[in-house]
Amino acid sequence: MNEPTFDLTTYYPIFLYLVVILGFAAVAMVAVHLIGPRRRTAVKEMPYESGMDPIGDARQRFDVKFYLVAIMFLVFDVELLFLYPWAVVAYQEGGIPLVLRGPVFWGVLAFLAMLLIAYIYDWRKGVFKWR
Amino acid sequence: MPCRIDAMARTRSDKSEQMHEFLFWPTLITIAVVFGILQGTAGFLVYVERKVCAYMQNRIGPNRVGPYGLLQVLADVLKFLFKEETLPRKADMALFLLAPVLAFSTALLSFAVVPFGATEPAPLPPAPPAAIMQSATPLEKQQHALIEAEYKKKLQDYEAKVEVYRSSYQFIIAPNIDIGILFIFGISSLAVYGVILGGWSSNNKYSLVGALRASAQIISYEIPLGLSILGVLLITGSLNLERIIWNQAEQGFLGWNIFIQPVAFLLFMTSAFAECNRLPFDLPESEQELIGGYHTEYNAFKLAFFLLGEYVHMITTSFLMVILFFGGWHFPIIASPEAGWFLKLIVFAGKVTFFILFYMLIRWTIPRFRFDQLMALAWKVLIPLALVNLVMVMVVKEMAWPEWVLLPASLAAVVVAGAVALNAPPRPRDRRLKPAATDL
Repeated sequence: MNEPTFDLTTYYPIFLYLVVILGFAAVAMVAVHLIGPRRRTAVKEMPYESGMDPIGDARQRFDVKFYLVAIMFLVFDVELLFLYPWAVVAYQEGGIPLVLRGPVFWGVLAFLAMLLIAYIYDWRKGVFKWR
Repeated sequence: MPCRIDAMARTRSDKSEQMHEFLFWPTLITIAVVFGILQGTAGFLVYVERKVCAYMQNRIGPNRVGPYGLLQVLADVLKFLFKEETLPRKADMALFLLAPVLAFSTALLSFAVVPFGATEPAPLPPAPPAAIMQSATPLEKQQHALIEAEYKKKLQDYEAKVEVYRSSYQFIIAPNIDIGILFIFGISSLAVYGVILGGWSSNNKYSLVGALRASAQIISYEIPLGLSILGVLLITGSLNLERIIWNQAEQGFLGWNIFIQPVAFLLFMTSAFAECNRLPFDLPESEQELIGGYHTEYNAFKLAFFLLGEYVHMITTSFLMVILFFGGWHFPIIASPEAGWFLKLIVFAGKVTFFILFYMLIRWTIPRFRFDQLMALAWKVLIPLALVNLVMVMVVKEMAWPEWVLLPASLAAVVVAGAVALNAPPRPRDRRLKPAATDL
């Protein structure tokens, strides 16, 4: 078995790249702010509503469906997080030992089956219905 | 063997530290070139998009600035730079300014681990032999000595390979990142913050509706996007994109993942279109109903940041499709693993261009979905299909069947899914007549 080798040096290029990107973004934002003309008027700074004067604020309540979608996303995304490490080591040399492959296979199937039950429940409850 | 630190293990770790030596100037030059080319390409794609659109609609398209309108890109950039910047008075200013930067930087940052030319994966160290027990018989000790000698030879080979690897240039900003694709998904899912912060902080109703739709769409399609590639990961056994390419290239043309994972490719492509907010999934910014969606209130360079981010995202997903399913720089006869870097670069660029043009053709061919259709597609079609695909790969791997079995199995899965969809009970029609409580 190979021992896991983690080396932060591999990630230095990413940090450097991040610095370059953020530097560019900051310079561009400031430069454009300085270059462009500015003639402020009250109407120009109003929220745009197709030329009408806006009625009320945009801080309003919205459909609870969006909240449900967010919860469903959490369930499935956490499940994905569990599946990624498994998928990488499942059938690789130096991954899961041969003896354990069978039990892990059935374990993952059981995991997916549990997810399926939740999925069917959601479907029957009408979470995926948008009208 | 974590508890056993012998001389050999130490030399190996020394070697691997050398392998990951950080070369500042070459990296900076690579970053500068990639950064420039990505932005240039993203700007140029706006022009290409308009031209493609024009030709598909029997028009000429931009042709005023420069020959064939080629300098249109420059004109657009100059206009973005010198335009008046309006800041809505009622906006939440800090978030309003942060959002475009987030959208832009997350799109660009995820390109850090994407190979864009000839790359090869870093060599893997050989597995060290198991430690010998104290009570071993002389025969066992003799055998163990043989194994040790063999291991030493392998180690020398490995060190030679590392030397070759270190001296060759890799066409990628951050080579040998083992979490490769996970990094891309992690960073690009941050893009949803740019969208929702931009829409919410503008304090505009169109922006809010656009942002809500966009975030619901992006998070819904992230799940099939992630699920679809699990099959590829099971087959390749690595998240490292260089290794994923190499595994396909080694097996030749028929080793491309598209032949064993066609369903996964379709799912990935569909979800990638939705992630980029491209038509037929561009509900977040559907012009006819929401003006500009979440970037209604943005103009000047802040709008350019959103648009650049969108196009860079499109380029990145095209690269991902090529890498995951179409063998990266590999092409039969033309670019084998031994071919020169220039050929590989050309092949890679050609494949990616094909997919970008495909994006554009789709955009001007298929009309937009309704929002309930969009959500139903993600949750009721793509996710179950992705799960079925995953289970198929699992079973094939577990039973140690040959991988080509997956091709007919995938086709069968699509046919069965189609039959199920056709025979599903029809939806009750009366529901649609009732007006919805809120029309978001």
